[in-house]
Amino acid sequence: MGKMIELENLSKSFGELEVLKSISVSLEEGNVLSIIGPSGSGKSTMLRIITQLEKADDGTLTIDGSTLFESIDGKARYVDLVEQRNILLKTGLVFQQFNLFPHFSVLRNITEAQMAVLKRPREEAEEIAMSLLKKMDLADRARSYPFQLSGGQKQRVSIARALALNPKVLFFDEPTSALDPELTREILKVIRELAEEKMTMVVVTHEMNFAKATSDYAIFMDGGVIVEEGEPNELFGNPKMERTKKFIRSFSE
Amino acid sequence: MSGLLVQMLEGTVTSLKVFFLTLLFSLPLGFVVAKGKMTRVTIIRWITDLYIQIMRGTPLILQLIFVYFAPFYVFGVSYDRFTACIIAFVLNYSAYFAEIYRSGLQAIDQGQYEAAKVLGFTKAYTFFHIVLPQVIKNIFPSLGNEVINLVKDTALAQTIGVAELFRVAQTSASRQFSTFPIFVAGIFYFIMNYIVSRAFAIGEKKMNYYR
Ligand SMILES: Nc1ncnc2c1ncn2[C@@H]1O[C@H](COP(=O)(O)OP(=O)(O)OP(=O)(O)O)[C@@H](O)[C@H]1O
Ligand SMILES: [Mg+2]
Repeated sequence: MGKMIELENLSKSFGELEVLKSISVSLEEGNVLSIIGPSGSGKSTMLRIITQLEKADDGTLTIDGSTLFESIDGKARYVDLVEQRNILLKTGLVFQQFNLFPHFSVLRNITEAQMAVLKRPREEAEEIAMSLLKKMDLADRARSYPFQLSGGQKQRVSIARALALNPKVLFFDEPTSALDPELTREILKVIRELAEEKMTMVVVTHEMNFAKATSDYAIFMDGGVIVEEGEPNELFGNPKMERTKKFIRSFSE
Repeated sequence: MSGLLVQMLEGTVTSLKVFFLTLLFSLPLGFVVAKGKMTRVTIIRWITDLYIQIMRGTPLILQLIFVYFAPFYVFGVSYDRFTACIIAFVLNYSAYFAEIYRSGLQAIDQGQYEAAKVLGFTKAYTFFHIVLPQVIKNIFPSLGNEVINLVKDTALAQTIGVAELFRVAQTSASRQFSTFPIFVAGIFYFIMNYIVSRAFAIGEKKMNYYR
């Protein structure tokens, strides 16, 4: 089992605002990493840089042995566009707001990228989509449109959409924050099952119990730095830093 | 009587030509203008904005006259009235369509672009398969209104002497001291717009399968 993610000294600013201040994270293949932290601490920005929705200012990132950018003279130098795209296809991202394509059926939401990006034949793409939908307990909704689904169902479709492209590592940015407690549970169950299958995942979440039970490693971020990190039992059960204690306490009330 | 009908038919054909040629050029051109207004390049944005302001802020009738006569007064060259008429209509309608496209594009959730990017779709694929279908659905009603306006606006082509339907009707009405030709022209505009609004209603219904 090798390293899936090696992120070193990642920095990012938006104008004057320093959002990430030399963040380093590493993740083994088959492991689950949880990231917690207050609003504005830079969690999403970090995920968005790894999934190439934002550009890093400085730092080095290697995903599954391929380097996306490297710190040279205090600046992140990206590899060429072809290689960027190859690395992009190793990652998947599940959004808080699902971001399903409203004009496509559930099935087509899952087949479209398989066909257009991976050039899979329609039959194969549909077969893969159907088996993922079965796994998500949604086989009977294949012909529905996103507006006909509950939030929890939408999120399961968006997870299936990401999985269909066989990413090496899957990122979740607060996948349950837009959902009721009931629906939250159904999504957390799906992620837990993926963890059991040894899917490599990074989950930004406010669900402390879930993070504690499911992840192999946990990080607490605040103000653009990693304040504390470690085994989930340690971080959640016995935090060392005052800020971590306060944050975790505020969520277990 | 049959002479009148033939003349009115010819006028109708001219009106339809103005209508379809304007759509043919201004529908795509409006898109270019919309993109110009949304670009980060300040000078291009500034110029497109001025262009849109002028087109929407002055009467089409004035624009027709300007497009037809300006080259004559400035360069001493004159050209075909019909061509001038199409140019003026296209310039005018591109500006209106641009504003409609722009509002449609801006209504697309940023999350759609982000999901498409993360899934590996190219920019072109994202635009044509993810964004454009949703934009078309969003703007369809306003587009329909504008096309109905265009049907009626074709009557303005007579300003620079293009023998479209309304001009033919007016001429023969005054020759025959009868409002009958005007009435016939009215029926044409009505039927034409009935077809246009039905077509848009059908299109809207077709796109109603999602929200
Ligand atoms: N595109 C942007 N332009 C300017 N500022 C941004 C941009 N994206 C994020 N920020 C700012 O960067 C900071 C970190 O944002 P980020 O979304 O990474 O935080 P977060 O930890 O995910 O917070 P939350 O829990 O609210 O999702 C915030 O102050 C935010 O306002
Ligand atoms: Mg966030």
